[in-house]
Amino acid sequence: MSAVVSPIREPLIQGGKSYHQITEDIVSPTEKTPSTAWVIAFIIAVTGLAFYVFCVAWTVWVGIGSWDLNRTIGWGWDITNFVWWVGIGHAGTLISAILLLFRQKWRTGVNRAAEAMTIFAVMCAGQFPLIHMGRLWLGFFIFPYPNTRGPLWVNFNSPLLWDVFAISTYFTVSLLFWYTGLVPDFATVRDRAKGLRRKIYNFVSFGWTGSAKHWQRWESLSLILAGLATPLVLSVHTIVSFDFATSVIPGWHTTIFPPYFVAGAIFSGFAMVQTLMLITRKILKLEQYITIGHIESMNKVILLTGTIVGVAYLTELFIAWYSGYIYEQFAFYNRVLGPYWWSYVGMMSCNVLSPQIFWWKKFRRSIFVTFVMSIFVNIGMWFERFVIIATTLARDYLPSSWSYYTPTWVEIGLFVGTLGLFFTLYLIFTRVAPVVAVAEIKAILKSAGDQYTGPNAHGHGHHVGHKKDIPAGGTVDIDDPETGQSTDH
Amino acid sequence: MSAANTEVLYGLYDDEEILLEAVKKAKEDHLEIMDVFTPFPVHGLDPILGLEESRLHIAGFIYGAIGTLTAFLFMTWVFTRDWPIIFGGKPYFSAPAFIPITFEVTVLMASVGMVVTFYTICGMAPGVTNATLDDRITDDKFCIAFNTNGASSDVLDKLKGFFSSTGASEVNSKTI
Amino acid sequence: MNQFTLEARHKSVLIGAVILGVLCLGLTFLFYDDELHSRFWSNYLHNTVFFTGIAFVSLFVLAAFTTAYAGWHTVFKRIWEAYAFFLIPGLVLFLVIIAGIWGHFHHLYHWTNEADVATDRIMLGKSGFLNKYWYTFGTIIIMGTWIFFANKLRSISVEEDLHGTTDYAFHRRIRRWSAAFLPIAGFTSAALIWQWVMSVDAHWYSTLFAWYATASWFVAAMALTIMTLIFLKSRGYYQNVTDEHLHDLGKYMFAFSVFWTYLWFSQYMLIWYGNNGEETIYFRTRLDEYRVLFFGNLLLNFATPFLVLMRNDTKRKFGTLVFASVICFFGHWWDFFLMIKPGVLHTTHEALAHGAEAAADAAHHGGFTAGFTIPGLLEVGTMLGFLGGFLWFALSRLEKAPLTPSNDPYIEESLHHHV
Repeated sequence: MSAVVSPIREPLIQGGKSYHQITEDIVSPTEKTPSTAWVIAFIIAVTGLAFYVFCVAWTVWVGIGSWDLNRTIGWGWDITNFVWWVGIGHAGTLISAILLLFRQKWRTGVNRAAEAMTIFAVMCAGQFPLIHMGRLWLGFFIFPYPNTRGPLWVNFNSPLLWDVFAISTYFTVSLLFWYTGLVPDFATVRDRAKGLRRKIYNFVSFGWTGSAKHWQRWESLSLILAGLATPLVLSVHTIVSFDFATSVIPGWHTTIFPPYFVAGAIFSGFAMVQTLMLITRKILKLEQYITIGHIESMNKVILLTGTIVGVAYLTELFIAWYSGYIYEQFAFYNRVLGPYWWSYVGMMSCNVLSPQIFWWKKFRRSIFVTFVMSIFVNIGMWFERFVIIATTLARDYLPSSWSYYTPTWVEIGLFVGTLGLFFTLYLIFTRVAPVVAVAEIKAILKSAGDQYTGPNAHGHGHHVGHKKDIPAGGTVDIDDPETGQSTDH
Repeated sequence: MSAANTEVLYGLYDDEEILLEAVKKAKEDHLEIMDVFTPFPVHGLDPILGLEESRLHIAGFIYGAIGTLTAFLFMTWVFTRDWPIIFGGKPYFSAPAFIPITFEVTVLMASVGMVVTFYTICGMAPGVTNATLDDRITDDKFCIAFNTNGASSDVLDKLKGFFSSTGASEVNSKTI
Repeated sequence: MNQFTLEARHKSVLIGAVILGVLCLGLTFLFYDDELHSRFWSNYLHNTVFFTGIAFVSLFVLAAFTTAYAGWHTVFKRIWEAYAFFLIPGLVLFLVIIAGIWGHFHHLYHWTNEADVATDRIMLGKSGFLNKYWYTFGTIIIMGTWIFFANKLRSISVEEDLHGTTDYAFHRRIRRWSAAFLPIAGFTSAALIWQWVMSVDAHWYSTLFAWYATASWFVAAMALTIMTLIFLKSRGYYQNVTDEHLHDLGKYMFAFSVFWTYLWFSQYMLIWYGNNGEETIYFRTRLDEYRVLFFGNLLLNFATPFLVLMRNDTKRKFGTLVFASVICFFGHWWDFFLMIKPGVLHTTHEALAHGAEAAADAAHHGGFTAGFTIPGLLEVGTMLGFLGGFLWFALSRLEKAPLTPSNDPYIEESLHHHV
C-alpha cells in the first residue's frame, strides 16, 4: 500500500482507528438493545406506516374519488410524490456508482446507508402508480405476458410502461448492488455472533470466507455493477421525465427535461442523505466515519446540482419566451404568476437561492445549517414536481376547463404515510446491518485514516509530504486553519 | 461443507503489508499456497498471488447483449407481426420508442446474470456454510493457508518456519 | 524534459496546415461558392465555433477538476491551460463574423435580415435576443470574461511554480477562481451557443441544445488532449504521464461519448414523439437531405467510441486510443457541421430565391449541394488549417512554462496516479 496522498486532503476516518476498532464501532450497534431514541423514532414511524395502510385501504374501498383529482387535473399529489421519491433514491446510486467511478474516496463513509435509502425510496415511489390504478388487484396488467384477453400486449410505446421497466430494473439492480456489498459485512457480523444470531447471519452472508479470489471477483463485480448503474440511474429519471416531456402539453414538452430531472434527482437525494446521515452519525456515534469533511463534500454536490437546476429553470423560462409559441409562453407565465405562484416561489427559493449559502465554508461545515438546508431542499424539490404537474394541468388549452386543486386528507395521508414506511424500513436497517461499509472503510484506512494523513499523522511513511519543508505526514489545511480541525459539536 | 476433509495449516498476520511480504516470500520459496483470506480486498495481492484477471465482465457483456436482442426483437415482433397497432400516428416499427425498454432490459439481464454467476462460481448461496478458518479473518486478521493433507513433518516444519520468519502472529492447524 | 520547445520542423508543419486552410477558404470563396459565399462563411463559422468551444471546455474542465479535488490531472494540466488560450484568437475570429453581421457581408443568420424580420412574426418575437447588439456585445463580454479567467488560472499556476510555498496560498487562489468560474460558465456558455449555433435555424428552438453542444465540445477536447499527449510523449516529453492518466482520459472520452448519445437521443426522441411541426422540421430536414451526416453522426460519435473503448485495455493502448480519439475529434467536428450547415443553406436559399414560397421549395428540394450535404475536401482542408492554428497557438503557450507544474499540492498524487 503505497498510496500517495496530497497533503491538503482531509482525513476521512478520524480517531486513529485500528481495523478491529472499525469492526467494533460499526458492527456493535446491531448487537446492542436499541436506544430509547431509536424506540421512540420507530414507534412514530410505524404509526405513520399504519396510517399509510389505512389511507390505502380507504382509497381502495371508497375509490379514487376520495382524492381531489378532476378531469383537468388528473395528476396531483400522487405523481408528485412518485417523482419525489424516485428522485430521492438517485443519490444512493450516485454515491455508490458514479463516485466510485470518479474515485471520490469520501463515498465509502456514506454509500451503504445511501444505497439502503435508494431501495426504500424506490419502494415508496412504486406505491403511487399502483394505488393510482384504483383497482390495486389488477396491477399485474402492466406486465407483458401472454394473457387471456386475446394476445393483446401492453403498449411498448408508452412512457408509462417504460417507467414500469425502469423502476423495476432500478430496484432490482440497486438491491443486488447493495446486497453484494453487504455480504462480506454480514460475514463479519456472523463471525462475532453466537447461537441463533449466528445462524441467521450465516444464512444471509451466503457462506462468505474472504478468499482472495472471491475478493477479486467481488471487486470486479462491484465495478461493473457501478458501470451499469451509472447509465441506469440516468435512464430512470430520464424515463420519469419522458412521462411528461413526450406529451404536447406546454411546460411539459421540453427537451431539457431528461438531464434536468436527473440533476434535480441527485440534488434532492443528497438532501435526504444529509438528513439521514446527520441523525444516524449522532445516534450511532459514527462521527469519526461520517465526518464533517463528508458533510462538506455532500454540501458541495448540493450546491452544484442546485445551481444546475437553476440554470435549467432559467433556460426553460428563456426558451419559453424565445420559442414565440404563445401557449408555451403562457404556461410559464402561469407558473410564475398564476394561482399556484406560491409553489413556484417555494421551488425557486428552496432549490436555487437558499443552497447558494453553501458558497461559504463556514455554512458547509455547520451541522445545524446543513440540517436545515437539507429539509429546505427536500421541500423545494417536492414543490418543483408539484409546479410541473399541478400548475401545468390547472391551466390547459381550454379556459372553460381551468381548475384548481387541493389535496384531500387521504392524499396527504398517503404522502405522510410513505414517510412512515420509509423511516420504518430505514430504522430496521440500522438495527440489522452495518450502516457503514466495514470492509470498504478498512480498505481506505491507510490512505484516509487520520493517523496516516492529516495533522495527527505520525509519519508512518505512507504519506509523501511536500518536497520542501513539510514534515512527513503533515498536512496543511489550505482553506481555513481555524475551522479546518473540526467544528463538529 | 466439503465431504473430503482437508487439513490446513494457516498463519494469521496483523497487517496487510506484512501479509503481502509473506506472500511474496512464499512465492519465492515455491510454497504452494492454498488460499489467502483477508477482511477486505487488499490492493496489489492479486498479481503477487498470480490470480488471473476475472472474466466476469465478459459474461456480463454476453448477458447484456442477450438482453438487448431479446427486448428489441420482442417488441419488434409484437408491433409488426403479432398485433400491429398504430399509436399516435407513429409507424408500427417505432425504433426510437423501443430504445428505453431495450436499455432497461439490457442492464437488468447483465446485472442479474453477473450476480448469479458470481455467487455460483464462488460457491455461495443463501444458507450455504463454507468452512472458515478463524472468526477474526472477517475482522482484522490476514490469513495464509496451506493444504497439509498427507504432508510429512519436514514439510510442516518448513511451513512453520516460513510463518515465523515472515512475522505471523499466530499459527494454527485445522481440519475443514 | 520538463521544458517544451516546438521544433522548427513541427512548426513548419503547423504553419503549412494554416496556409492550407487559408488556401482552402480562398478557393472556396473564389471558385466553389454561391453568390452569397455561404459555403465560405459557414465553413468559417463552423470551425471558429468548434475550436473556440474546445478552448472553453478546456478551461471549464480545469476549473471543474480543481473544484472537485480531482488532482490526478495535475501533471498535464498545462495542456489545458494552453488550450484555453485559444479563446483569444477565437474572439478575434468571431470579430470577423460580427463585422460581417454589421456590414452584411454574409447571410449566416436569417435574423440579421431586417426586412425578413419585420414580416416574420416569430423572428420579430425573438428580436429582443436575436439582434446584432446582443450578438456583438454578448460575444465580446462573455468571451472576454472567459479569457480573464483563463488568464487568471494560468498566471497563478505559473506563479505557483516560482513562488509556491507549503501553505499552498496559490492553490487556494486557483480554487477560488475556479469555483467562481463554474456557475458563470454554466450560464454564459448556453447564451453563446444559442446565439452562435442555435440561431442559425432562427425559428427552431430546443431547451437541451446548449448542453448537447457543450457535450460535443467536451468529447472533442478530450480527444484532442489524448492525441496531443501521445504525440508529446513520442517526442520524449511528458514521460511522467503514464498509461494510468491516459486510461482516465480515455474513460472521460468514453463516458462523455455515451453522455452525448444520451443527450442526442433525449432531444431527438422527444421531438420525434411530440411531433410538433415547428420542432420536427429540424430533424425532418436532416433526415431527408442530410442522411449521410445524420447517421454518420451516430456511427462516429456513439457506435465507434462505445465499441472501441468499452474494454479496459483499449483505453491503455496507444493504438486504439489514438484511433478512437481521431474518430471522436472528427466525429464532433462533423456533429457541428450538421448543426450549422442545413440552417445556413436554408437561409441562403431563401435569400437567393426572393420570395417565401420559392425559398421553401428550394430549401426542401435542394438535392446535393457541394460543401453542405457532406463535407468535401475543401472543408477538411479548412479544418486542418484551423487545427494547425489551434495547435500552433497552444503549443507556443506550452513553451512558455514548464510542462509539469511544481508546488501544486496534488502533484505527488498525480505523479503516482493509479487507476
